[in-house]
Amino acid sequence: MLILQIIVEHVRKRFIPAKENFSAMTAKTFRGGAHPPEKKDRSSGLAVERLRDVKQVVIPVNQHFGAPLQPLVKVGDYVKRGQKIADADGRMTVPVHASLAGVVKKIEPRTQSNNLDGPCIIIEAKQPEPVDGVVESSDDFMPPLDPFTCSKEEALARIRAAGIVGMGGAGFPTHVKLAPSKPISYVIANGAECEPYLTIDERTMIERPEDVVEGVAITMKIVNAPEGIIAVEENKMHAIPLLEKAIASSPRTRAGMKIRVQLLKTKYPQGGEKMLITALTGKEVPSGGLPMDVGCVVQNIGTLCAMVEAFRDGKPLIERGLTITGGACTKPANVIAPIGTPVADIIAAGLTAVDDEALRRIIYGGPMMGVAVPNYSIPVQKNTSGVLFMNAEEAVHYEEETCIRCGRCMRACPIRISPALLAVSVETGDYKEAEKIGLLDCIECGSCSFVCPAHRHLVQKFRVGKQILRTIKQKEAQNAR
Amino acid sequence: MPAKGMLLSSSPHSFTPINTPRMMLSVIIALIPASVYGVYLYGFQALALILVTVLSAVASEYLFRKLIKAKTTIGDFSAIVTGLLLALILPPKTPLWMGAMGAFFAIVVAKEFFGGLGANPFNPALTGRAFLLMSFPAAITTWTMPHGLGLADATSTATPLALVRQGAALTDVATYFGASDIGSLYRQLFMGYRSGSLGESSILLVLIGGLFLLALGVIQWIVPVSVIGSAFLFSWLLGMDPIFNILTGGVVFGAFFMATDYATRPLTPAGQAVFGVGIGLLTVIIRKFGGFPEGVTYAILIMNLATPFLNKMRVKKYGFVPPVKPAKPTKEAVK
Repeated sequence: MLILQIIVEHVRKRFIPAKENFSAMTAKTFRGGAHPPEKKDRSSGLAVERLRDVKQVVIPVNQHFGAPLQPLVKVGDYVKRGQKIADADGRMTVPVHASLAGVVKKIEPRTQSNNLDGPCIIIEAKQPEPVDGVVESSDDFMPPLDPFTCSKEEALARIRAAGIVGMGGAGFPTHVKLAPSKPISYVIANGAECEPYLTIDERTMIERPEDVVEGVAITMKIVNAPEGIIAVEENKMHAIPLLEKAIASSPRTRAGMKIRVQLLKTKYPQGGEKMLITALTGKEVPSGGLPMDVGCVVQNIGTLCAMVEAFRDGKPLIERGLTITGGACTKPANVIAPIGTPVADIIAAGLTAVDDEALRRIIYGGPMMGVAVPNYSIPVQKNTSGVLFMNAEEAVHYEEETCIRCGRCMRACPIRISPALLAVSVETGDYKEAEKIGLLDCIECGSCSFVCPAHRHLVQKFRVGKQILRTIKQKEAQNAR
Repeated sequence: MPAKGMLLSSSPHSFTPINTPRMMLSVIIALIPASVYGVYLYGFQALALILVTVLSAVASEYLFRKLIKAKTTIGDFSAIVTGLLLALILPPKTPLWMGAMGAFFAIVVAKEFFGGLGANPFNPALTGRAFLLMSFPAAITTWTMPHGLGLADATSTATPLALVRQGAALTDVATYFGASDIGSLYRQLFMGYRSGSLGESSILLVLIGGLFLLALGVIQWIVPVSVIGSAFLFSWLLGMDPIFNILTGGVVFGAFFMATDYATRPLTPAGQAVFGVGIGLLTVIIRKFGGFPEGVTYAILIMNLATPFLNKMRVKKYGFVPPVKPAKPTKEAVK
C-alpha cells in the first residue's frame, strides 16, 4: 500500500500541476531543481514584530561583497542611530551605520554569521544628554530625496550612502547593481523565497505591498527599465491579490509605469537570480556574466523596502526583517531587528524562544545555503534572512557513501554542470576538466547534495574546488605576466 | 545558550529521504512480478536458483569485504539486486552450483575487484552470465519448456530465437509453441508462455516492473526507449520480424533492468541515447550474423566499454558561451 501511495504521489507531482486559483496566470519555472520540504507553515501566518529597546549591538564592519572598510569611530565615541561608522573608498564598498544611539564600547574581532571572525563595532545603548534642557534627536538620518525627480547619480549616491546591499544573501552592493553598463528591459522583484523555512519576504509582501511596488518603481526609474515584474512562488499565492491591489493604486503605475505580478512554480532554487531570470524571460545569463547581460536587474524584497526607506525617510540600512524558526524553536517569529543585534537578545526580549535541550544545529540563513554556526550570540547582519534552530530530527548529517552514478544530481542541477562527473574531476585534482565542465559556474545552491542518495558532500567539494581553481588561475596569470 | 556543542556542517542542511538501499529495494520490488512468474513457469528449481544466486552474491560480497578488511556493504542491497538479476537471465535448469559460481564471479570479479558499487565498468550480472556461458556453453544454452509448479521432469527444447536461427519460419515457431497464427504467437510471447531465461519471458511483467521504476524516477526513459526502439528499427532494416525480435530474448528485460544499470550506463542524456541505440544495433547484428541466437548480453557489455567516452557528451551548461577561437592570421599578415 505504501508503495502504491508513493507511486501515486510521484505521478501526481510530476504530471498534474499544483492547484491554481489564478487560472489566467500560468506558473513559470526553470529546468532542474529539487523539492526540499517547505516547512514554512509555522511562521508564514505570523505578523512581523519589531524588536525594541535593544541594549547592545555588535555591528560587523564588513557586511558586503567587496573591499574591506575602515571604522570611522573610536572607543568612547557617542554615535547617533543612522550615523556612518565605517566606510572606505572604492566602487565595491558600502558604508555601515550605527543601528543604535549609544557609546562605542569596543572595536574587536567577533564571530560573524559566516562563521569567521571579523572586526565588529560594539555599541551600548545610551540616550543623548540634554543640552540646555533640550534633548536632541538620537537619530541621524539623511534628508528625504525624491528618486523620481533627482538625477541618476544622486539616486545612486543615496543608495550607497544608505549602506544598501543585496539582502538575499550575497551582499552585493546595490548601487553597483543599479548602474549597469547595458540597457535593462526588466526589473525583477525576487519574491520567490525558495529557501525552506523562511517567510520574511512573504510577510513583507503581505504587510508592505505598497513599499515593494514603490521599490520596483524606484529601481525601474534608476535603471530606466520599461517593465517591472514581481515574481512570487505558488506557495505564496495569497500575497498576489495584495500586490495587485498595491500596483493598481500606486501613483507610479498611474503615471504609466508598467509593473505586474508573475506566478512561479514552487521549486528550489527558483529564487536564484539566474533561475528566476530564465523562468521569467526564457533567457540564460551567460556563463561568467551578470543579469544585466540579458537586460535584467533582480532585487530582493527586503532590499526594495530598504531603498524606499532610504529615499522617503532618509533612513540607512540599520535594521532588517528575518524569520526565526526551526524544530527547536518553541516560538517561531518574523522579526525586524537592528543590524548587529545578537540573536540571543531577540530571545531575551521574548519575541522568540528556543528549547536549548533540543537544539542541535543553528543556521544563519536558510537550510539549503545558510551557514551552521556554533552559538546564537552572533549578530543579525544585512544579509541574515533567517535563523533556524534545528532539533535532532532536522540536524542530520550523513557520512559520504560511494557514488552509485544514479544521475539524480545531474537532473537536479539548475545550471546543468553534471555534478557527478564534476565531483570526479575535483576529487582527482583534474582542475582543467573541472573548469571545462563548469566548476566556476556552480551557484552552490545545494540541489545536488540534497537529492544525492549516497549523501555525497558535492557542494562542499565544489566550494573547496572553486577556491583551489581560482588560486591556480591566479598563479597562471602571474606566471604569464 | 545551547546546552551542548552544535553540529557544524557545510550547506545544504536538508536532505532527501531517498537513499541507496531504498533505490535498490525499489529495483527488487520491480523484479518481483517477473520472478514470481518464473517460479510459476518452472517450479521449485527456479525458486532454488533465485535463492542460491542471491545468497551467493550476498555472501561473496560480505566475505570478500571481510577479507580485504573493508566496510561491509551488503546493507545497500545491491548484491541482492545483482544475484536476482543473474538468476532471471539464466536458463531455469542451470545447475545450482553454476548459479552460485556465476554470482560469485559477478560480485567479486566484476564488481569488487574494481572497487565495489558504482566503480565497476561492466554490468556485474551480465558479466556473471557471460562467464558461465563461456565456461559451460552446453548448460547455459539448455532450455526447458514451461512445466508449471510441479516437479515434473522438464523437457529440453529450443528458444523461439534459436528456432528462427535454425531457419524456422515464424509460422513454424507459432505451431511449436501451440499458437494458431503469428498474431496469437505475438500475444503468447507478450504474456510470456515460452521457453527462455527464468525471468525475461513475460514482456508484460517486465514492462510493469520497468514502468514502476520509471514512475518512481529510479530509472529514466532514454535508455529503455532507445534500446527497444533501435532494436525494432534495425531488425526491420535487416529484414527480420521486428515485433518478434522485441518480444523474444532479453531485449525488453535488458532495456529496463540491465542497460539502465547506474554504474555502467553513461550519465549524460546524449550519451545514454547513443548507448541505447548501440545496444539495439549490436543485439540485432549478433542475432543476424553472430554465433549465438541471442545477443543482448554481449551488446550491453560491449556498450559498457563505451560508457566513459559517452560521458563526454555532456549537456551544455547553463549560459554556455562558446569559447572564442583566436582569429587565424590572414594571408596578408603572414606575408
